Amino acid sequence: MVDLGGLLEIAIVFAAVLAFAPYFGEYLGRVYLNRPLLGDRLLTPVETAIYRLLGTSPRISMRFREYVGALLLTSAGLFVWIVLLLTLQSSLPLNPVGDPGMTWDLASHTAASFLTNTDFTHFNPQSQLSYGAALFGLQAALFLSPAMGMSVAAAFIRGFTHKDGTLGNFYVDMVRTMTRVLLPLALVGAVVLVAFGVPQTLAYDLTAHTLGGGSQTIYVGPVASWESIMMLGTNGGGWFSANAMSPFENPNAASNLFQTGLMLLIPLGFPFAFAQIVRRPGEGFPFLATSVVVLFVALGLVLFFQSGSNPALSSFGFASGAFPGPGFETRFSGTEASLFQVVSVYSNTGATSVQIGSLAPLSQAVLLFGMFTQSTPGGDGTGFGMLLVFAVIAVFVGGLMVGRTPEYLGKKVGTSQMRWAAGVLLLHPALILVPLVVATVGGFVAVAGGSIPTNAYAFTTVLYEFTSEAANNGSAMGPIADGTIFFNVVGAAIMLIGRFAPMIGMLAIGSIFAHQDVLQPGPGTLQTRGWTFAMFLTLLVIILSGLLFLPVLVLGPFAQLGV
Amino acid sequence: MARHLRGATVLLAIAIVVTGAGYPLVVTGLADLINPHGANGSLVYLNGTLVGSSLVAQNFSRPFLFWDRPSLNDYNFLNGTNAPPGSQTPALTQLINETLEYFARYGRFNVTAALPWVSPSGSGFDPDLTPGAVLVQIPRVSAAASNVTNTTITDATLLALVNSQITYAWFPGVGVAYVNVLLLDVALIEAYPALGAALGLGGA
Repeated sequence: MVDLGGLLEIAIVFAAVLAFAPYFGEYLGRVYLNRPLLGDRLLTPVETAIYRLLGTSPRISMRFREYVGALLLTSAGLFVWIVLLLTLQSSLPLNPVGDPGMTWDLASHTAASFLTNTDFTHFNPQSQLSYGAALFGLQAALFLSPAMGMSVAAAFIRGFTHKDGTLGNFYVDMVRTMTRVLLPLALVGAVVLVAFGVPQTLAYDLTAHTLGGGSQTIYVGPVASWESIMMLGTNGGGWFSANAMSPFENPNAASNLFQTGLMLLIPLGFPFAFAQIVRRPGEGFPFLATSVVVLFVALGLVLFFQSGSNPALSSFGFASGAFPGPGFETRFSGTEASLFQVVSVYSNTGATSVQIGSLAPLSQAVLLFGMFTQSTPGGDGTGFGMLLVFAVIAVFVGGLMVGRTPEYLGKKVGTSQMRWAAGVLLLHPALILVPLVVATVGGFVAVAGGSIPTNAYAFTTVLYEFTSEAANNGSAMGPIADGTIFFNVVGAAIMLIGRFAPMIGMLAIGSIFAHQDVLQPGPGTLQTRGWTFAMFLTLLVIILSGLLFLPVLVLGPFAQLGV
Repeated sequence: MARHLRGATVLLAIAIVVTGAGYPLVVTGLADLINPHGANGSLVYLNGTLVGSSLVAQNFSRPFLFWDRPSLNDYNFLNGTNAPPGSQTPALTQLINETLEYFARYGRFNVTAALPWVSPSGSGFDPDLTPGAVLVQIPRVSAAASNVTNTTITDATLLALVNSQITYAWFPGVGVAYVNVLLLDVALIEAYPALGAALGLGGA
């Protein structure tokens, strides 16, 4: 099934992103260092005016508590705003088809979902989300939530160069992320998507007289502008329920490939931004190598598992690896759909161009693994932040193995940082496995096709749901009845904790580093820029994530094979 | 605290206005210059009547038209999107079996080439079929269309029509080849206006 054209597409998209990433990453680094940049003449006066309105200035640098406070206050404000819009949408303007207000639990789940860059949807946008709430609530979150992730990552990184205990200015980071990165890139991306045929109109619903007789209401809207930031911001929540499977969101192979590149751009640019911010060229390499190696292995495995025969289909005489089959779209080859899906899940975007439940069970396991690591490359900012947490652990473990005091980029790595790092690492399985047990044993799951204990497929869908929420991914396997109060409330809690607790951990580690002086490297200092450290980091990420989650993979995807 | 309350509120207010209104409006303005057909939803008209979008599958149901893939949401946006049964579950086998039985009522066809046609798409709106899955429908279409138009429409004529409608994702041989079913049916009706008259879409 692996076709040469598909392999060529994989080569092209990675070559394009990796060729662009160093320049983009350097630019990104300069954004967070407040250095002179292209576009200053136009944008600096605008930013200065915004800082004045906000009552802040780039000269003010915040300490840990203040940075976290600003982050949480802004997030709380956005959460309340979205909940209000969603629950009151029936009596607000811009509700052309008269969607009713959402219930409090569904509104909370949705607000948490878009605030945390998860974009897991328990609703159908066309029948449950008004035009106005989509644009002024959720689309604003599509920008603000990746901006928060990137700002926090930048603050975390600054801990390695600051000596005064400060981490930077949250508001300045947010404003510059928006004006210098997300808005211009999203604009360019949207224009390209329009050229590929994605709708972009202020009209919302049109009635067609179908050839079969009868009528069909066609829903359109400003889809390209939504789609662009949905991918660039590693958000993943679609304008349509069908997400990137919808021909409107993803009309052809070219748009599919372009969106794949959009999802990778910021996550793979961040290692270079890191090297720029810490002023040590080459230090970003192990992060980039880890992300790319794990991505390639995952992609290879999915392509391999998809080429196997499916007993449910071969009984009809369909060819082995027959394509396109159920859950796939005709206009994408198997390789194209797999490429998109692996990149989407591994970048924690969570958009889908194929039904995940329609993939081979072992492919589902590979996708789950990407959400277990959360960092290869992970979402905008937070993915890199997680990888940096892994690197701090790697330096500590490596230092202990060679019997030296562990230090990273001239900063001592001690037990206080390790306590936070271990907390961030262990929170993830707790957030997934505890609700999984409660949901399955407590009888909260109603699934089409059988009860949980006897049905490995149904178990996998529930595992997938909580993993996706804890990793702030947002892709879903369906067909699980998850619009219940239990799944809404528990899901909202998982997403909020799974987003903000690791962010606070990252800022705390950064703050501890920011209080230290920079040491000169000695003969016993662990080299952290070459292939050796890259391999060490890659294996550490794979082994730690594997050890934490292997048992549950056996109960879910592996058990579907019936062995 | 008061300082942060002001910072957070103003930041959110500016972001909501700029990203919720300014950004989509700018893109919409540009879209009308770049690709107005696509920007408006790739709408398809037949004799001046809006008959659908080439990017949205629909329920053709008439035997003299080519049919889209089955849809688990009944081709209706308001029904959201439903995932097909899991890839290796008995429910999937059962669903495909039922679809095969339903289609077989309209005549026998080569099942092995028809996988996309008898399996629900991911989105429920997949407007395309592989050429093979269109070709298996030709015997039904030619018989029914000949009947409606009172002319002999041969399989060879329809084969030529289908071949003229093949889209290549990249180039012939690289990427998938597919046929847009709505555009194919519109081409069929334009070739045989009596079919349009039978649909009440005969034009002025």
